[in-house]
Parts: sequence; C-alpha cells; structure tokens
Amino acid sequence: MQIVKIALQVLGVLLLIPAVAMATLRFEKSSADGPSILFPGGELMAGDLYTGPEPNWSFTDDIFTIEMQLNDPLSSRLIWILHSEGKIYIASGYMSTTLGRLWKHWAVQADEGDGLAVVRIDGIRYPRQLVRIEQGPALDGLAAVMSSKYSSPTTRQSIEAGSTWVFELAAPGA
Amino acid sequence: MTSKNYLILCVAVAVVVSLSILFVPGVAKTIERELLTFLSTNARG
Repeated sequence: MQIVKIALQVLGVLLLIPAVAMATLRFEKSSADGPSILFPGGELMAGDLYTGPEPNWSFTDDIFTIEMQLNDPLSSRLIWILHSEGKIYIASGYMSTTLGRLWKHWAVQADEGDGLAVVRIDGIRYPRQLVRIEQGPALDGLAAVMSSKYSSPTTRQSIEAGSTWVFELAAPGA
Repeated sequence: MTSKNYLILCVAVAVVVSLSILFVPGVAKTIERELLTFLSTNARG
C-alpha cells in the first residue's frame, strides 16, 4: 500500500511539471509582441502601420501563415491567410463542436464583438475588420483556395453548415 | 511522505518550474522548441 502511495505521489509530480510549464509558457506569451507557433501572443507592436489604399493582396498567395490580433480581447495568433478575388480571408475550423469553439474561441469573440483586428504580414501591420461570410458564391473560391493551398477538405457546404467559419479581412469602416 | 510534505513539495516544484521558465534565459525557448519537435514528429498527418 505504501508503494502505491509513493508511486501516485511521483506520478503527480511528473504530471505537475509539464502542466505548470505549459501554463507558464502560455502566460509568458500572452504579453509578447505576437504569437508563437504553439501559444497565442499579445498586442502586435513592431512593424510599420499601413495607411495607404487597399494593397494588391496577391502577394499573400506565397505566405502560409500571418499574425492576427483581435483588439478585444487583445490577443494574437498565427492563422492561415486566404486570398480570393482581390480580398483576403481567414478561417476557423472545428466550429460545430463545443471543444472546437473553446479551442477557436477567438472566432466566437470576433463574431460577437466589433471584429476590429490588426494583421501583421511581412512585418507590416494592417488594421482590418473581421466580417463573417456565412453564405454566397464567394465561398466556392475560398474552399478551392483552402484545398489547393492547405490541402484542406473544407467545402462551401461545410462553411454554410457552420463547421468552418470564414471571415473577410475587410478595410475598417468599409 | 505525509500529505502536508507532499503538498509543500508540489508547490515548491511548481514555483521552481515557473520561475525557471520566466527568468532563466533560453529555458522557455528550449521547451517550446522541444515541444514543437515532438508534436511535428508525432502528430498524425
């Protein structure tokens, strides 16, 4: 019986170490200038703030992920970038499950809040507004981009069914 | 080990781990790099 107790105590400590490490890393990253691959980050501060006319977003075709910061709450994450018909979009999958909504809670916050955001691409910060696209022919093009660029099985039907949420990164106030 | 001593040990371990990650240069990056390597090696495609 004593051996079992000792074994459980050792197991507890062995589980405690990675749990504390993960929590600490997440806390540390929450105030960093941008996210890491594993953890969300804080406010995007470095880089020039873009103020000109709408850029030609075709350069994002060669970019796998961008940094996206929601203004409320102030947190940032790495995310896929989709370019279709002159506009850019981001997507959030697994949204039809409770676990998915917890994991991708930023999408819920963006949809329920004002959607104001900043994206950093190649070191330049672009103020944007997230506008959820729930239906329409534009989703066909987006699904095609997700398939060709990221080998994603997402379809227009899965987006319209709410399994994947898609947001246009529109110009603020547009 | 008594329950009281075990709890003290757990708190001490948690504090040491947290402070090491927060204040020892390179520890956070090393853990994250190793974790990423583990995930990229073992994640299902």
